[in-house]
Amino acid sequence: MKTIDRETTLTSRAALDSRNLKSLLTGLVQKAGADYAEIRLEDSTETALSFMGQNLENVSESHLYGGNVRVLVNGCWGFVTFNSLNELDARVREAAQNARAAARLSKDKSVLAPIEPVVDTVRLELLADPRQVAIEDKIALFGGYNDRILRRPGVTSSALRYFDRYTRLYYANSDGTWLDRELMDMGFGASAIATRNGITARGTTSQGGRNNFNVFRNLEHDIDEAATDAVENVGAPVVKGGTYTVICDPHLAGVFVHEAFGHLSEGDNIADDPRMQEVLRLGRKFGEGYLNIYDTGLDVGLRGHLKYDDEGVPTQRTDLIKDGVLVGRLHSRETAGRMNEKPTGNARAISYRFPPIPRMRNTCIGNGPHGKLEDLIKDVKEGVYALDSAGGQTNGELFTFTAGKAFMIRNGKLAERVRDVTIGGNVFDTLRNITGIAGDYHVRDGSGGCGKGGQMPLPVSHGSPHIRIKDVVIGGK
Amino acid sequence: MVKKFTENLSSLCDAFEMFKASGRSLSVAYENDRLTEIRQGESSGMSIRAVKGGKIGFSYSSKPDEVDTVASAAIRMAPYGKPYNFSFAPKQKSAHTRPYDGRCGEVSVEKLVGLGLAVKDAIKSIAPEAMAECSFSGGVSQSRIETSTGQDCSEQESSFGYFVAAKVTEEGNFLSTYRYRSSNGLVGEDEIIEEAREAARDFVVARKQAPVKAGRYRVLFSPGALSDILMPIAVSINGLNIEKKTSRWVNSLGERLFDERVTLLDDPFHEDGPGGGLYDGEGVCTRRRAIIEKGVLQGFCHTLSTAKACGHEPTGNARRAVSTVPQPGLHNLVMAGGSATREQLLIQAEGGLYIDQMLGTFTSNFLAGQVSGNISLGYAVQGGQRIGRVKNCALNVNTFDLLKSHIVAISAEREWVGGQYLPWVLVEDVAVSAR
Repeated sequence: MKTIDRETTLTSRAALDSRNLKSLLTGLVQKAGADYAEIRLEDSTETALSFMGQNLENVSESHLYGGNVRVLVNGCWGFVTFNSLNELDARVREAAQNARAAARLSKDKSVLAPIEPVVDTVRLELLADPRQVAIEDKIALFGGYNDRILRRPGVTSSALRYFDRYTRLYYANSDGTWLDRELMDMGFGASAIATRNGITARGTTSQGGRNNFNVFRNLEHDIDEAATDAVENVGAPVVKGGTYTVICDPHLAGVFVHEAFGHLSEGDNIADDPRMQEVLRLGRKFGEGYLNIYDTGLDVGLRGHLKYDDEGVPTQRTDLIKDGVLVGRLHSRETAGRMNEKPTGNARAISYRFPPIPRMRNTCIGNGPHGKLEDLIKDVKEGVYALDSAGGQTNGELFTFTAGKAFMIRNGKLAERVRDVTIGGNVFDTLRNITGIAGDYHVRDGSGGCGKGGQMPLPVSHGSPHIRIKDVVIGGK
Repeated sequence: MVKKFTENLSSLCDAFEMFKASGRSLSVAYENDRLTEIRQGESSGMSIRAVKGGKIGFSYSSKPDEVDTVASAAIRMAPYGKPYNFSFAPKQKSAHTRPYDGRCGEVSVEKLVGLGLAVKDAIKSIAPEAMAECSFSGGVSQSRIETSTGQDCSEQESSFGYFVAAKVTEEGNFLSTYRYRSSNGLVGEDEIIEEAREAARDFVVARKQAPVKAGRYRVLFSPGALSDILMPIAVSINGLNIEKKTSRWVNSLGERLFDERVTLLDDPFHEDGPGGGLYDGEGVCTRRRAIIEKGVLQGFCHTLSTAKACGHEPTGNARRAVSTVPQPGLHNLVMAGGSATREQLLIQAEGGLYIDQMLGTFTSNFLAGQVSGNISLGYAVQGGQRIGRVKNCALNVNTFDLLKSHIVAISAEREWVGGQYLPWVLVEDVAVSAR
């Protein structure tokens, strides 16, 4: 009864006191009657605004509040979400009951890789706090960009979105970990839209990050370029379908490495599948000696930056391909446990509504030895220079992504602009076909995110230098 | 209590719309032959659009007891928001009914875990080398929309969904053949097991590889792949794109745009459809209506706001989650079947391709009609049969041309793909890139 009284008082936000929660949550996970238990509480506030054409289409303040209990009993998981702290001990019991019911029927047993428990408080260290910027000032800033797009002759419409989200996360597990964390996430994306003769094309730009609202200021040059891209894309011919040498700019190459190799490296694809383990055996050569791919949670300020993952594991830089050879993968405690490897701090959940699963943070191709863009282009007789990304998707082996803009390369020089460049390929062939990596690594965040298992959009980053790939199939007329 | 709150809200702003929703669900997932997730959730949320000084503010909270906070945040946002140049839904009552199956909210862990084991057995009995992947979820939810303009409507919904797949990941061959369905009622175990067997039979065929060269082919699109092909239509009838004049069909109502065999309906009351409702996300009564009838454009999808901006009648197509503002969208997109059987279409597709899954098409320039992406699961067709999987090839079509002048035949059989009920469609002269 005592516990219930205490929970009831906690339903008031004012009482969301860290000390009370620590004793409540750590107490509950210890007495959950489970082999392992964890509780996550989340309290987030988001301010968002969006423009469509001349209208400020939406301005909103949203509040997401809830939590989950995850338990492991006899090797089976139970996971229960809730919106209220009332009867929290009943939620713990339900999770344990579900796990027990499953364990009676299922022979599958999960194990968790051991970790050192941590007790930590993570506070924001912001260079510029979006919460200190009045909503009027945000509207003036982003509305100014929107007006700038619409003033460009030839632009018919625009779409612009900004959000900032402050989250307070509390996490306790039965291994003794207690985390009280603050997180900030911000994103901005703008599209200029041009329609001519029944053809519509876009030009886009984006920014994002975790610690500095000022990245959204002084973007006039990027905005102008997006408007130019829309106007020029709509008049450009559709690329002729075929097989080309393609040079990807850092942004598109970042999407490529995320889609094509990052997802493949996530431990849940590998842990239970012996044939996949053979395909992705450590030590296997995947590309030329200058190919390096890694995923890191350590890049402060990027949307992919995290001190701890959602299982309380400290994040790290995880090398995936080093000097062309496979050396690692992205693990949760569970996938690491099943493969007898070490957790890498990649267990992430988009919100309390989902359990953590292996996900990326900032996924990168490292700098290579091939100079700059000009050095990669000069030997290409006929090819495509593809920049920016309109998104991508992979099924593990095959991938598709669409460039935001593209130019033909003819006789070693940039030539005419083409539109609707969709690049498809086989991941393994494409990695082998990377014939050049420049030394101009660049990373730029946006407002979107990664989707997997219904969890979207998870804030991630991706960066790369310019890369050159031979024999790429481009769908076209 | 609620009445008192809405009266109070009326005194604080010029107009409002309050949306409340709650629900509970249970889902179970198997990956790579093993049980990986049992997820039980309760969810609640409420959002308010409040008008003050002729402008709209929006706020949402997932916390059930936070109505005052949500209301004051919506009012605080209003001075900066979009002009309120339409009216929230007036009092109206739907004359229709929709199935509700309370059993969806009563599914047990034991039942769903057991179902997963049965699916695994069914797949392995046909394709022993495949790994099974499947998930099942059941749930019920309630929603209520109240407006200061007189509407007060409630609805309860039930949902059940399954996904069953046979997969292998091996050197040079990542393959997943799958079947899935969302329904507004519990789906029988027999159907699910049969669909698992069907996925396993597809797996056996797709395990064999068939060569493909770049060229122009007859292509038979399965309902799953056709769903991707129809995206430019869904985007072009979207009221936002009509309002912003980014759709090429702004002035095309009544125009013949497609082959006369193309008829598309939006049916919010379809007995098996997962996407419908008696009221849309703004409390407007929904309607069954033609989008394309015998190739002629008949209607757009509007929210109250986009309808007003375009000078059109509201269509009851506001779609939203409780946490988001309404956007125009389709309920259940139903395409009329043709007269051919699937077998006849396969015979007519001789020397061509059967495409079942596309990858990454969502990045295409839909407003220009373009659909492009990898063919993630396609087969070569010979002698009325799928003889093996074609790989490393991509498709780039323009839906506006494809469904206007390339259709050979449409099947009588149709199948649910999410909220769409679609036939198989055979088209000719389609460019396929291949390496």
